Amino acid sequence: MLAAGCGKSSRASGGKIVIAVDVPVTGSPYVAQTIRHGVALAANNLNSGGGIVVGTHSYRLAVKLYDNHLSARQAVEDTRRAVDAGAVAIVTDGTGIDATWQLANRDHVPICITYDGGTGLVDVEKRPNVFRIAPTNHGIAFRLAEYLIPKGLKVGLLHDDSAYGQEGAADVGRAFSGNPRSVAIRMTLPFGSTDLSPQILRARRSSATALLVWGLPPTIAAVLTAARSIGWKVPVYASPTGADPFVRQQLADHPSWVDGLTFAAGRLTAEVGTGPFQSFESQYESAYGVDKVGVKSSDGSPVIQPPELAMYAYDFTHVLVAALTRAGSLDAKKVLAALNEVTTQGANGDERGFNRHNHDGVVDDDVYFARFHEMTYAPVKDDPLSSTLPVIPQTP
Amino acid sequence: MTTPSKAIAAAAVSTLALAAAAAAQPTQQVVLPGPVPYPTDSPPLVSGGVLPQMYLAPGLHVASNELVRVGVDRSGRPNAVSVRQQLVVSGKGDYQLAVGGPVADVRRAPGSESEPGFRADQVLWAGFSPGKKVLSADVKLRVEPAKHYLPLRLALRRDGDGVSLTVTNATATPVMTYTGVVRTAEMAKLLDATRRSALAGERVTAAFATFIGPVHTPTQPVVIEAPLRIEGKLQLSGGSPVSFSRVLGDGRPLSFTVHASGSGAAEVRLRASPVPVVKLLTPPGARTWKKAARRRRLDPAELLRRLLGTRQRLVRADQYQTFLADPDADGHSRAVYEYQTVAAQGPQHVASPARGGGESDALLIVLVILGSLVVAGGGLVVWAHS
Repeated sequence: MLAAGCGKSSRASGGKIVIAVDVPVTGSPYVAQTIRHGVALAANNLNSGGGIVVGTHSYRLAVKLYDNHLSARQAVEDTRRAVDAGAVAIVTDGTGIDATWQLANRDHVPICITYDGGTGLVDVEKRPNVFRIAPTNHGIAFRLAEYLIPKGLKVGLLHDDSAYGQEGAADVGRAFSGNPRSVAIRMTLPFGSTDLSPQILRARRSSATALLVWGLPPTIAAVLTAARSIGWKVPVYASPTGADPFVRQQLADHPSWVDGLTFAAGRLTAEVGTGPFQSFESQYESAYGVDKVGVKSSDGSPVIQPPELAMYAYDFTHVLVAALTRAGSLDAKKVLAALNEVTTQGANGDERGFNRHNHDGVVDDDVYFARFHEMTYAPVKDDPLSSTLPVIPQTP
Repeated sequence: MTTPSKAIAAAAVSTLALAAAAAAQPTQQVVLPGPVPYPTDSPPLVSGGVLPQMYLAPGLHVASNELVRVGVDRSGRPNAVSVRQQLVVSGKGDYQLAVGGPVADVRRAPGSESEPGFRADQVLWAGFSPGKKVLSADVKLRVEPAKHYLPLRLALRRDGDGVSLTVTNATATPVMTYTGVVRTAEMAKLLDATRRSALAGERVTAAFATFIGPVHTPTQPVVIEAPLRIEGKLQLSGGSPVSFSRVLGDGRPLSFTVHASGSGAAEVRLRASPVPVVKLLTPPGARTWKKAARRRRLDPAELLRRLLGTRQRLVRADQYQTFLADPDADGHSRAVYEYQTVAAQGPQHVASPARGGGESDALLIVLVILGSLVVAGGGLVVWAHS
């Protein structure tokens, strides 16, 4: 599909096709940067191959960056500007999507979320122009329940009061609703508080034998700090934000506190092996350098972050190009329809695409679990999917 | 008058002469029909476009159980076709599957452990099997392209004091065959092996036959069919139902007519399932073809015709076990076809199954499989009356 879309110099030039990237550059710089890099890497690769052919013309891809500051209001403004600038699609972390999708939908402009897994953000019937390539909260929550309940643990379900935490808590609540005996306590944590000792003591008194924390990275760091500083070695499980470099940066002085932290995330490698992902990672690092976590492993090596979010943004760009090629025109309506009908090979070797009933490009089955040891993580061995996955190198 | 001893001696001489003649002829191994190819391209239904690349991790297998629901109008013509397809993935690993066909819509069916994807003429599945995974979908098909591959034709007409229903096996198709000189003993052995496969409900395995001298291909093809077991009833509003149970094919007629008296709208409800060849593979007067051949002279040419015909019927029956494709070419497939009169453009069973919902349908599928095994094993009939 993509090969067919690669440009030939004999084609008439149609100019540029703009892909807008609306991310929280000043609110969550790591997330913003890695998404932007993912789109840019795909665009640069395609441009260096001669651009893409849509219908009878060849085009070059241009990436236009907008900063939504983690603000829905700013995201609305960015979306207006992106649509006015003729963007064929908008790639976002998910900020403000409840308000922006309608604006974009008036012009049939697709929006792709590559970070926020919130339930309800993607709805084929109600929001036909919203797509997502990122693990869903629903899928992560149910996979966590599927993983933890058979262990016979009494789980303390903790979430912070951020929008992310509250959305996740709803899905976690549903996932555990059929097994109330597995739940020791449910608790909301104040986002931004660096001292969660009272809440953690309460969780300990509830006889919890494990904690599942769904919150932003500072909350996860604060939970670990509160638990470990009182000597409570309770196993801690976390939402995908557990892998955020911020958690390790906050606990850099106490690397052993991170040990054992287990998080859920979208798998980085397919059954075909590590080859495709490592090839993508290599391209990414050549272009933008490694994403340094800011901590060191036990042997003193600097720890780097695999470009997971970049992979999702990269994959969407390729799916978009496949749709443009299939549509054979820049007609937004046709491109939007074609997004339901195409598949490309993702950066990790998996097939990537959407369909008429599902605009989520990461299936629930692709959620795996990884556990930290000495500031790097590896897939767990006690989950059928995770046990099949290789370790992604995280030191140079 | 010829004495018995003279007759035996004459027969022995004749046999020796034939054997000597045969020995002088070159022999060749000829591949017998089955398990593939099927005599026609469809079923299974195919997609108009190109299916995405499929992936099935090594060691994974996919079995397909299908309940094909056909709505028919007051004349018996199909006006709705849908399939509840249950794919059972066994083994541990990734899968990316696509099922093609004239798909109008697809929804997750009860009991499914994953959500089906839908594209133009495609049902998609992707995920990871931790050892076993059940994927169930209700697939609504476009009637016009799908109806040509249904196994039955129904005709309802008013006559006399009521209505008549004619049910015809629509799987009959011409196939090429061949003739030549073969050995009775080998034919008997091959018929016994084919019969064992049929009674066990298994696909026939690849086999060869030895032809002595040239192999001829008759210009006139023979017509074979998938034997179908039909169970159902015909009823007029307010009247008593007329029940029927037949096998169409396997040496029996390919159609039958039933009549129900009364007035009002006719209602038909029947189920059809492909069944193994049993009657045509029953040896005459003995437990096996080998023993039958020992007891009396059997014409080897007739045995060859029977062997080819029954194997082709088994292949055709196997073909109709897969109305929607099983993404695993080596997978085990079972299909049952349910016909029911519905108003024009009547209920498409995709979102809301006509009968009782998922559990009963899942049970039906299980019963169909068990039933087919029991039928295969002992000629019994298991039917889930509802």
